Amino acid sequence: MQNIIKKEIKYPYLTKPVVVYERECGHKIVLAHKEGELVNVSTWVKTGSINETDANNGISHFLEHLMFKGTSKYPAGYFDRTLEAKGAIVNAATWKDYTYYYVTLPKGENYKNLNLAIELHADMMLDPILPENELGHPFDISKPEEVSEKRERHVVIEEIRMREDQPWTKVYNAVNNAMYQKHPYKRDVIGFASTIASIPRDTIMDYYKTHYTPNNMTTIITGEFDNDTILKKVIAEFDFKGRENYQNPAFEIDSPKGETGYIQNTAKINTGFAIIGYLGPLACNVKENIALEMANIILGDGQSSRLYQNLIEKATENIFNIVGSDYYSFRDGSNFFVQANFNPDKKEQAIELLKEEIEKLINGNISEQEFNKAKKKLKADFAESAETVSDISETIGYYMTVCNSLELVEEYLEVLENYTIEELKEYIKKYLPVKYAVISVLMPEE
Amino acid sequence: MNKIYLKNEIPAILKENKSTPRISVCVYIKITEAEKKAGEYSLLNRLFLQGTKKRTSEELAQELDENAIECYSEMKCDFIRFKLLCLNEDLEKGLDILSDIIQNSTLDEFEKEKIKLSGEITAELDSPKSKAMDAFYKNFYENHPYGNTYTRVLEELDNIDKDEIKTLYTNLLENSPKIISVAGDFEGINIEELLEKYFSSLKNSTNTNQNMPVPELKEKKVIKIEKEDASQAQIIQGWMFPTINSEEYPAILLLNTILGASGLSSRLFVELRDKKGLAYVVRSMYETFNKSACFSVYIATEPKNIKTSLQGFKIELDKIKNEIMQEEELENAKNNLIGKREFFTETNLQQASLMGYHEDKGLGYNFEKELIERIKKVTVKEIQEIADKYIKEPSVLTVLAPKKYLEIE
Repeated sequence: MQNIIKKEIKYPYLTKPVVVYERECGHKIVLAHKEGELVNVSTWVKTGSINETDANNGISHFLEHLMFKGTSKYPAGYFDRTLEAKGAIVNAATWKDYTYYYVTLPKGENYKNLNLAIELHADMMLDPILPENELGHPFDISKPEEVSEKRERHVVIEEIRMREDQPWTKVYNAVNNAMYQKHPYKRDVIGFASTIASIPRDTIMDYYKTHYTPNNMTTIITGEFDNDTILKKVIAEFDFKGRENYQNPAFEIDSPKGETGYIQNTAKINTGFAIIGYLGPLACNVKENIALEMANIILGDGQSSRLYQNLIEKATENIFNIVGSDYYSFRDGSNFFVQANFNPDKKEQAIELLKEEIEKLINGNISEQEFNKAKKKLKADFAESAETVSDISETIGYYMTVCNSLELVEEYLEVLENYTIEELKEYIKKYLPVKYAVISVLMPEE
Repeated sequence: MNKIYLKNEIPAILKENKSTPRISVCVYIKITEAEKKAGEYSLLNRLFLQGTKKRTSEELAQELDENAIECYSEMKCDFIRFKLLCLNEDLEKGLDILSDIIQNSTLDEFEKEKIKLSGEITAELDSPKSKAMDAFYKNFYENHPYGNTYTRVLEELDNIDKDEIKTLYTNLLENSPKIISVAGDFEGINIEELLEKYFSSLKNSTNTNQNMPVPELKEKKVIKIEKEDASQAQIIQGWMFPTINSEEYPAILLLNTILGASGLSSRLFVELRDKKGLAYVVRSMYETFNKSACFSVYIATEPKNIKTSLQGFKIELDKIKNEIMQEEELENAKNNLIGKREFFTETNLQQASLMGYHEDKGLGYNFEKELIERIKKVTVKEIQEIADKYIKEPSVLTVLAPKKYLEIE
């Protein structure tokens, strides 16, 4: 066998260490042990909207759809039909830093289904043919009547339409766009209908060839099996045939503008929606990420959170219907969001109250009780993500792809254990002042 | 898996899954008394986390979140289900809270919860899909508690009286059958003892009669909802079907799988999405209640595609009824369904939930095993007969779109 670097990672709540193998070509294989009949096979690719431009925005996600449209060996539909006929859940997802493809299924007698899943999954990952008749011919979005046959381009355009009808998506897209100046993260992952309608097949194939390289791919198998046998199988099926590697470029990291941004849009709705967005630390910065994850729990996660208690439970006036916060980690910097749905007649008051809660978090006290709650929740999250083969794979995929290292899991738990309230306060002050925020509001049309 | 009875005769179903970090407990309480006004049970359900004789709502929220314990209740028309999920070491704390909210809720926050419920519903109805689904079920189960959707609740919420909620709560505690189900790692604990400790003061009942009629759909309904800025039309069409206790249940599950629920290879997905590019989401659904069930098809599509989509539905439904299905397609659907059921019962919470659900339906906690065997025996002919027998008028069709696209039928 080729030279393979092998590392064992102690992964919380699993009965055996997770093993990471790196092949000479750069392809990573991760095997995780979880007792039971179900297995998960997935491959994570280091590309998403981060590698897009205005001209090709949406190409990563469109390619994800087209990967299911057949290979030299098998026609479109064969993959889905064959695996779903074995009880599989198959799908894929595209986000800012990554695209991933997965199959979850019962491993079958003598691992028959698992082996079949690895074969078909590898074939799909390495040899997509993107047939023109499945894509549909390129067309001008302003002349839809010229299209005689609607195919996958239209499916993605319908997905775009679906998102246009979701108020939360609208208000999110506006804030996301305004938070960045130059960084590719400012674009919506799904792109525009006009681009999806017109982008040529060959442009998509070139994009595939550039980004789906051994060093950009991690294949993860989670379930109960013999590691050596499965490792051999994955290596045999993932034959890259000398495919050249590609190094993702570095991008200039945007900083907040220094004064609070404000955007307002309207729609035919009856309530008001708001998202207050912030730029946060790089995903690999464990210490600072933990701080913002804790801030998220204290400020807006669940019914005991400050936002819920102060703005809904103890409110003297009925202003908010929904309040909360969220935190997402990305390679080039995370996002912290405060969200609210409110009575539109009370917009000014609603925004002021949200700002006040954020100010209190920065300048006021954080109690031991809040701090310990956040710590416990972050530990319990690992227990939650160790319950299913799909969740285990997903957590591993995130660390391998966005942070480039699964060892960060071990570091994370150690740093978390030794965290102090002072550290937490320091990072909240660094990232969450209101002057660094962008506020996006969606209001009912007059 | 085994079933025991607590001293108060409440059945408890136990399933041990070793080496799992979180344990789950579900408590089912059957709704035997139908609500008189839409929203009564939804309101009661919310009040379970809003304070007990021992804990205020804030204390409850704090105690749960501090220990990373998930504990909540769900109102499902035929039953209220309490769910507890926590790290193994916190089980006793979790059971203490669960038992407290079931037995000692004060309902004191009645007025506040009314306002909160109304606000959350108004926000939810800003989603076109929620709005369309609401209209569909409201009309499908018109004049029946199953049809008490969001908009029905908004209509009647103001008229609900606290005493009515109190009566329903007392009735649930005094006169409703209860079931407990547990899945997780029992190492180092005596689960039976713990259940006795926390639930022995609950009162069981053997009265499983629900005082609500069997819903009827007497005439075809076409519901049009105007939404001028909708990018997509929301289309749902549904028929009344036999429910879970029917002999036909396994065949209906397979009909659903083949038509529109298998994932990327169902007929609706392949024909309407892959081949015609009409939608991102197109599927069929089969939703069961105790007294009835609804089988429906759904698509979200550009408004000008409404007619093509309805024709597409008709073609696929006719095909199921009139064209002989290949044995291979049925075999594949069986494997798909069986694998999927395994996928959706991977966690302790999902397992506890399903065991209790089947027991509540009177099918036995081990029904899943029996169901798999029955699924394996379904024939092509049975599926075709079912489609023929039940997918026919009357149906309810709901379409949401800008006005100019609503000139249908």
